[in-house]
Amino acid sequence: MRDRRRLAAALAISGLLFGTAACGSGSGSARAGDPNTLEVWTRSDPESAQTYKRVFAAFTKKTGIKIDYQPVMNFDQQLQSRASTKDLPDVMINDTALMGSYQAQGLLKPITPASISGHDEITAKSWSSTVGRDGRHYGIPYSRQAMTLFVRKDWREKLGLPQPKTWQDTLALAKAFATRDPDGDGKKDTYGMVVPGSAQNGYVAWWGASWLWQGGVRIIEKDGTGYRPAMDSAAALRTVTWMKNNLFCGDNGVIQPSALTSVTANTTNFQDGNAGMYLTGPYNISTFDKALGKDKYEVLPAPTGPAGNNDVLADGENVYFGAKTGKARLEQTLAAFLISPEGQTLAMTGDHQPVVRIPVNSTLDAAKVRDDPRWSVVQKAYETASVQFPNAPDFAPVKQDTADALNALFTYCGSDVEAGLKELNDTLAGDLKDQDLLK
Amino acid sequence: MTATVTTPGPRRARFLSKKAVLPWLFLAPGLLLALVFKFLPMGKGVWLSFFDVRPFLGDQWVGLDNYTRVLTDHRFQDAIGHTLVLGIGMSLGGIVAGVLLALLLEGQARSLRIIRTAVFLPVVTATAVVGEMWRLMYYPTSDGLINSGLGLLGLGPVPYLDNPDTALWATMAMGIWMLAPYNMVIILAGLAGVDRSLYEAAAMDGVSLWQRLRHITLPAIRPALGIVLTLAAIRGLRVFTEVYVLTGGGPAGSTDVWMTRAYTLGFSRNDIGGASAASVLLLCVTLLLTVTVNYFRKRGDVR
Amino acid sequence: MSAPAIDPVRTPVTASPAGKSAGKQRTTPARFDTALGWSDRPGLAWALRVLLCVLALGVFAAPFVTVFSGSFSEKASGSTLSFLPHHPSLLNFEVAGERGIWDYFGNSLVIAGGGLLLQLVVCTLAAYALARHKFRGQALILTLFMLTMMLPEEVIAIPLSLVLGHVPVIGLDLKGTVWGVILPLGAWGFSVMVLTEFMKDIPAEIEEAARIDGVGELRMLWQVILPLCKPALGVAGVLGFIMIWDQYLLPLIAAKDPTDYTVTVALSILRTDPEVGSGVVLAGAVIALIPSLIVYLLLQRSLVTGIAAGATKG
Repeated sequence: MRDRRRLAAALAISGLLFGTAACGSGSGSARAGDPNTLEVWTRSDPESAQTYKRVFAAFTKKTGIKIDYQPVMNFDQQLQSRASTKDLPDVMINDTALMGSYQAQGLLKPITPASISGHDEITAKSWSSTVGRDGRHYGIPYSRQAMTLFVRKDWREKLGLPQPKTWQDTLALAKAFATRDPDGDGKKDTYGMVVPGSAQNGYVAWWGASWLWQGGVRIIEKDGTGYRPAMDSAAALRTVTWMKNNLFCGDNGVIQPSALTSVTANTTNFQDGNAGMYLTGPYNISTFDKALGKDKYEVLPAPTGPAGNNDVLADGENVYFGAKTGKARLEQTLAAFLISPEGQTLAMTGDHQPVVRIPVNSTLDAAKVRDDPRWSVVQKAYETASVQFPNAPDFAPVKQDTADALNALFTYCGSDVEAGLKELNDTLAGDLKDQDLLK
Repeated sequence: MTATVTTPGPRRARFLSKKAVLPWLFLAPGLLLALVFKFLPMGKGVWLSFFDVRPFLGDQWVGLDNYTRVLTDHRFQDAIGHTLVLGIGMSLGGIVAGVLLALLLEGQARSLRIIRTAVFLPVVTATAVVGEMWRLMYYPTSDGLINSGLGLLGLGPVPYLDNPDTALWATMAMGIWMLAPYNMVIILAGLAGVDRSLYEAAAMDGVSLWQRLRHITLPAIRPALGIVLTLAAIRGLRVFTEVYVLTGGGPAGSTDVWMTRAYTLGFSRNDIGGASAASVLLLCVTLLLTVTVNYFRKRGDVR
Repeated sequence: MSAPAIDPVRTPVTASPAGKSAGKQRTTPARFDTALGWSDRPGLAWALRVLLCVLALGVFAAPFVTVFSGSFSEKASGSTLSFLPHHPSLLNFEVAGERGIWDYFGNSLVIAGGGLLLQLVVCTLAAYALARHKFRGQALILTLFMLTMMLPEEVIAIPLSLVLGHVPVIGLDLKGTVWGVILPLGAWGFSVMVLTEFMKDIPAEIEEAARIDGVGELRMLWQVILPLCKPALGVAGVLGFIMIWDQYLLPLIAAKDPTDYTVTVALSILRTDPEVGSGVVLAGAVIALIPSLIVYLLLQRSLVTGIAAGATKG
């Protein structure tokens, strides 16, 4: 019988431990009922969360409205689990690309721009990117960015070549970087251009979108109230064929080796100093400054493609209001602060990672706020030569399918581009049909 | 398995009831934790596989739609072959290499302890970092570590991950490399249970090394081998992380396995119902495989 | 075998899976210590072994030199491997420290320590029932425990998040507490399987002898059975620790605030942080692998010290 008692004791102890666990928790749930507190979620790592904390502290100080701020890494999982309890956060800041999906799931509250004070300081172009399927706005622009071309200035000058203005210039420069030993170490260990070409998370579509725009291609096109796939166009065939023949299946070294399985996190050739160009977002500027030095590289507008434009992909973050939360006035006050010059400036500066790249507030100048003229290149690209992915549909499946198809076409150099794009087009039609958007 | 001594006489009935309750008392904490934190969420996951998942608007029953969608998707169909090749190749390679490592490094000497620890490094390093390391080792030019080695032999350079024909095999090699030291630990524990005096007796009888391994070592490490085999059955087809960190399923889907597809469906395409269906299918196959492996193991044990 | 085998340290107990008793009190030559009969004297076989060991080190350990050298390099490259650090410095570790890696490291230690303790207790109890008792539904229960390993965790993530936010019946919110990570890890099929398999192999005579002496269930487990399956405990300990340490999704789901993250989560954050370079990530990786390596070093004696070998040495 003695062990029985011991067993009972052991069980009691484990029960006790369980109880202790209970006491440790339970805090922080007082906020839900407080009418003067907004629960705000952002998809942030701890570094950028510091910047958000600063912004929200300033807001509370100014308005007296408290913020229960939660930076979330696995945003969508957490949001889904909260959604199934029908208790959404009041305000969310997340990618522009998620709007279509969120709206389709009924997670968002429609927004009247006029109800946000300072709404007229946001350009019509930015506002137009938050229009949902039913023509109403479902987000407030918060931060934008556009891709630019990063070039090793020291290499280019050493080889005596001009800044690339067209696709031909870019290709010639890439070839020169690969073959003419720009780093002068006597070894053939440099590459022309960095490409995150993996289909994982749709990277190759993200990177390739700018090239498609410059070739006059759209992945899907608006057609009345719906959309239709547009990857079977002559422009698409011409553009994808050019990319395949010249970048992926062209001379060795034009792009870095293993580009086909690269994502941005493991594509470090540019900052490691063995690749000469990179078409990517401005968030890399601080990395490159640290790794290479400001004087070693330049930030240029993207080259002009065969369609005669140099449009690049733009994306960014929006402010979203959770559906049915009943704190509309507070939410509008917060949104007004977030897009105000004060709120935007706070989010662009500070010791931690900035959370606003290009301000949506048109009274601000990114280059001035950051005291860095290179940002004006980015801002100009966004304002005058950028195209976002369509925001109304849930673009995620479209992007993933495009990435799968492009990665396959670029991998098999002998592949039939026309047939591949035709197949992609059919797949995209299926994706749109799933969302009842196919026209 | 005759664990308890049966006591004759009037005490027997009481003893039996105690005997019947006891194992459940010991099992209770484990079963309780598993129920709350594993089976409950899993039941919900299986449930979701029959729905168009829209947590806020209310999930919509779609019956077997998610299943048919997954099973008719040609990318999932392509993934089956890769999953089988990779799962079986990695598991068997990992077991063979693990046994060889264990046999080589068995022993008490301090030098062996150090070598064993060094060899264990692939298991303790974050998988993502291992993935980056192998990407660099596989660098497709002659500067790459493995290719420069091949260069010395007058071969190469091999494109490894960049070529759809070689990427799956390159992934398999990394998988085996990560798995072998893991299995080594289990086999070592099995080898530790071998009665040393049997080796001595065998030596006196002039038994060959092969017979010694076959008749003394092998029966003794059977439990350890059984564990390693069961583990292979459970994890083989679920292979995911190795592919995800190394190739992400590329190039051109040539290393896409079942789980990377399911992951893409759930996270890149926001199709939670479809991802659940794909996972449930995999779960059923894994369960079947595990039960089969265990059935044959039991038969082997009886024999 | 007449004496009750209660304390195997004082009373030499022999347990051989083959069921043959062998209580030799003298030390055996090294060549009877290993399955292949390696000799510890220089010779042809010895040279072969050294050669093979070098090969094993080259294949399994040498690549890590690049990780270590990268972590100490002032400018580590993410696109080339180097075996020697460039401008050796501790800068990467300092940056990793600024990013709070030591706080996350502390969280990880608490979670891994508590989780492993719970896991070992829970799994040992379950394995004892499965291996040393006979009851209906035994095979089913073992299969259920194995099932805990077969669930792709991404699929159960959302339902698990709900459970952690509101545990059924008792209604606790475990999010933001270490229990939110520890409790779901308590029942791990692998440990149950390993311990069950090894416990099954302990000869019944030992248990019977103890039982005649009136040893009860808990003492039986603690003082008779457990000392005889030290290698299995070693395996469950080492691999259990690593399994808990490597958890990524669970700590994210259970966290309420970034201060709840673990070092594994922090490492993935560092990887995607555009402000830090590869060297910092490698430094983080080196920091993250040390505890697992220490646990392995500590427990590997029990892995390879055979029960029989321990017995023959007295």
